[in-house]
Amino acid sequence: MPTSRRAFLGASAAVLAAGCSGTPDVLGLRRSVRIAVSWSSEELRAFHSVLNGLGRLDYPVEVVPLGDDISTAFGPRNAHRPDLVMLPQPGLVPEHKKDLESMPDDLADRGRARLWDELLVVDGTTYGLPFKTAHKSAVWYRPSVLDKAGLKPPTLWSEWLEVNRSLSFSGIRPLALGAGDGWVLTDFLENVLLGSSPPTYQALAAAAHPRPSEHPQFAAALRLLGTMWSAPGTLAGGVKRSLVQQFPDAIVEVFGHRRAAMVLAPDFAEPVVRSFAADPDDIGIFTFPPISPGGAAPVVVGGDVMVLPKPTTDDARDLVRRLAAPAAVDPWITAGGFLADGRVTGYSPELTRLAKQLVAPGASLQFDLSDRLGRLGAMNGLWHVLTDFLERIGNRGSDVVPDAVEIALADLKKVES
Amino acid sequence: MGLQSNGLSLEIVGREISGRPVPGKPRRPAGPYLLGLPALLLSCLLLIPIGVTVVAAFTRPDGSFGLGNFAVMGDPGALRAVGNSLAWIAVALGLVVVGFLLALVSYRLPGLSTFLQPALVIPFAVSVLVSGVTFRLIFDATPERGTVTAVWTSLFGSSPVWLGPGLFWLVLVSAFGWTWLGYVVSLFRAGLDAIPDDVSRTVAAEGVTGWRRLLALELPLLRPITGVVTLTLVIAAVRVFDLVLIVVPGPMQRDADVLGLNWWRAADTGEPAGRTAALGVVLFAIVAAVAVIGVRGLRRRRWAMPVSVVRADPALTRSKPSRRARRIGWTVGFAVSLIWILPAVVLVATALHSPREAGLRGWWSLDGLGFESFAAAANAGLLRALLSTVLISSVATLVLLVIAVPTAYLVAWGGLPHWLGRVVTSAFVVLAVTPVQMYAAPLRDAIGSAGLAGSRVALALVHAAAGLPFAVLLLRSAFASAPPALVAEALQGPARQSAVLATVQRTYRPALVAVAVLEFALVWNDFIVGFLISGPGTTPLSLVLWGEARQFSSSSGTVAAAAVVASVVPAVLLLSFWPTVVRGLTVGSKP
Repeated sequence: MPTSRRAFLGASAAVLAAGCSGTPDVLGLRRSVRIAVSWSSEELRAFHSVLNGLGRLDYPVEVVPLGDDISTAFGPRNAHRPDLVMLPQPGLVPEHKKDLESMPDDLADRGRARLWDELLVVDGTTYGLPFKTAHKSAVWYRPSVLDKAGLKPPTLWSEWLEVNRSLSFSGIRPLALGAGDGWVLTDFLENVLLGSSPPTYQALAAAAHPRPSEHPQFAAALRLLGTMWSAPGTLAGGVKRSLVQQFPDAIVEVFGHRRAAMVLAPDFAEPVVRSFAADPDDIGIFTFPPISPGGAAPVVVGGDVMVLPKPTTDDARDLVRRLAAPAAVDPWITAGGFLADGRVTGYSPELTRLAKQLVAPGASLQFDLSDRLGRLGAMNGLWHVLTDFLERIGNRGSDVVPDAVEIALADLKKVES
Repeated sequence: MGLQSNGLSLEIVGREISGRPVPGKPRRPAGPYLLGLPALLLSCLLLIPIGVTVVAAFTRPDGSFGLGNFAVMGDPGALRAVGNSLAWIAVALGLVVVGFLLALVSYRLPGLSTFLQPALVIPFAVSVLVSGVTFRLIFDATPERGTVTAVWTSLFGSSPVWLGPGLFWLVLVSAFGWTWLGYVVSLFRAGLDAIPDDVSRTVAAEGVTGWRRLLALELPLLRPITGVVTLTLVIAAVRVFDLVLIVVPGPMQRDADVLGLNWWRAADTGEPAGRTAALGVVLFAIVAAVAVIGVRGLRRRRWAMPVSVVRADPALTRSKPSRRARRIGWTVGFAVSLIWILPAVVLVATALHSPREAGLRGWWSLDGLGFESFAAAANAGLLRALLSTVLISSVATLVLLVIAVPTAYLVAWGGLPHWLGRVVTSAFVVLAVTPVQMYAAPLRDAIGSAGLAGSRVALALVHAAAGLPFAVLLLRSAFASAPPALVAEALQGPARQSAVLATVQRTYRPALVAVAVLEFALVWNDFIVGFLISGPGTTPLSLVLWGEARQFSSSSGTVAAAAVVASVVPAVLLLSFWPTVVRGLTVGSKP
């Protein structure tokens, strides 16, 4: 078929020509402001809508989705230095401050907000601004299931265990766990630790060389967690299924296939919940309950902060200023799954609840611990220890927990040294 | 220079020596060497970084030389990775055997290839990433979404978790086999078809049948092709990287670790450069050892592969098989093709569902059909990535052809001294099998400090450099297999270079087409080079696909749509040029 081949070649040449003339930056030669983000799919699209809402800019903007490799954005081996990084681990800011430009003075106060100042302000200089806040102590559930079993959302850890037991007695799997994503497991543990021993959490977060295995309260938190995970009939699909499902899969198990009652998932799970829910009215949320009566409910906070790698440009500063404007993130808030620091209005009822808890006085707020543990919190550290822990105890009853905790602590010790 | 006297003009005209070589020292003009200069310059893109990596591997943290960095191999994680990489080599060898047997069956049962050929080519055309996506969809753990889980559950009540611990190997090997089996079968089949009829008739007349015939006739004759096939597959097996990344769920990634991945993680978490370099060198040593053995196997062939410059007279081909054999072949071929094409059907059908429906239910669901997933994929920057990929692949292919053709001509006919020819060939063989990990880190640093970070043209040049060794080897064999008379004739003509090129163009079009098509498809489908050298920012297609696949099943509609869009061009390209590509590849099996 010589004609069709020629036609094909002609067409590809035309596409090529169009590509070169239409978007010169396809060649990678024009200088644009490059934003490195860790988001993908829905979140990435939502961020694009935020950028589109900024109006006409004097410079082209290129979004670079770096995924889990976001921390390479200002590493020494970086080939593709972005001008602006949406860093999902605010804990890395102090560590990298020599690679970072300070924020423009008129914006610096935004980085000094409650909680954020611990990480974003070093020696009086603001190195980052919060862009997106994540509430990591939320449990999404189907109210119809709890109603049918005559149960109420738990307000205490022991009540939660009781709810789980009642549900599994009536043949409903209470919990879907997206153990395929390591952070789902670490978030769970962080909530239990923060709820049971805030001082230990604080000490570990602040330590230069954290050694969680040496804190008895850490072992106690692991045991508490083990009590829930090991209860037979708790995990939807069993341990192996949990290991292969990521957090959206766990949400689909609860709201789409309706095989489980609840799932621990942050505020940004909202779009997934809504798009896969079989019944859009059967969506409820409760916050992680206090561990002991009288204790404060734990609130583990995450977020993406804007930082400017050195050396920066005026264009990049301008973009930060525009993105920091409160109205800039409206498109994402409309799309759902976005909390802005300090703002409590404009969200869905579920997210409004979470936003209010974030600003409530006296709440036990702490930043995500795994971001602040360095290598210990990374893939080969806590994530693997918790995965192995889950494999050892899941569905096997509380008898196996003490031994599994010992093994987990021994494994952690290996990573610590 | 000329003489003129009394209107008579005398001119001295030189003439190239032709005919039989005579003893004596041949004249070696320096001119042809210039033909190799561009290739040398381009290869420096790889050679220098490789040198840097080797030096780094043998440099201890304190700056002295030694083997200290190789202590990294005592690390249990690294050991497991080495073990897994070796297991992948075993898988590759097994696949060669299976492919050979399939080719034999299809040779003995003509009619089978009618359907089988396209069904086998499509998987080879799509990227490893796409085939990983497809098999992850097929083996999904929920009975609503996963094909195998659904079938298993309806048959036996419950299903194992296919992507779970241990069982994920099945998914990985299936995806790898699906990608490569077509290539293996096609090449063996071409080799079997090229066995001259008189030879096979003679063997048959001597009463040699069954296994003895296989040992006496087919195996020795197919030796060069076996070498090429084994080499390609083993290299692919050792380079397994993106397949594991996309197929294996996070918690099992540690068990599925291979050397390439281990290297990448070590480099990414900021381990000392010397240790990661040592890992790269070990990976390289394994591949190089296999390559050397493979090439030695090639050299020890007894018969050269017959090259048909003139198409065989159709009247003289094999006698038509019986009707029954044709009918069996037809049926078996149809059944096998159906199974083989199923993954592609799953992918396309998933893409044709809305993102919500694809996340909830499998490809067979009748709800939510439409192009919503394609629209969502377009929103994720797919079009931009498409342009980017077209640009990178075209530039890489163009540069490769412009540089590889004269180089191959130089190596084949440029009159290089024998030893130099061997050195150049060996260097190219080693370069052809060098894993990306050997040059990625230094090259990335160099590109970054040259201010070319994110430049698509730089990435295209790296691709061209990486594709050069294989292209030169293939073209050289094609050129060298020219009937000497043809070349001599061309050399004697007045405009000799262009005449030679014209002859080459006419006679060796298959090899040229094979190089161009394979390079274009390889670059188009590339993940690892773009990922390791340019970072995810350059947005070629595969990297967009990778980004979308981070939340795998909830975005399976979008991922499938992006995968379909990414696969159309290489699939159409390879399907339309496949016979030529196979001819070109089999000509190139002469070392």
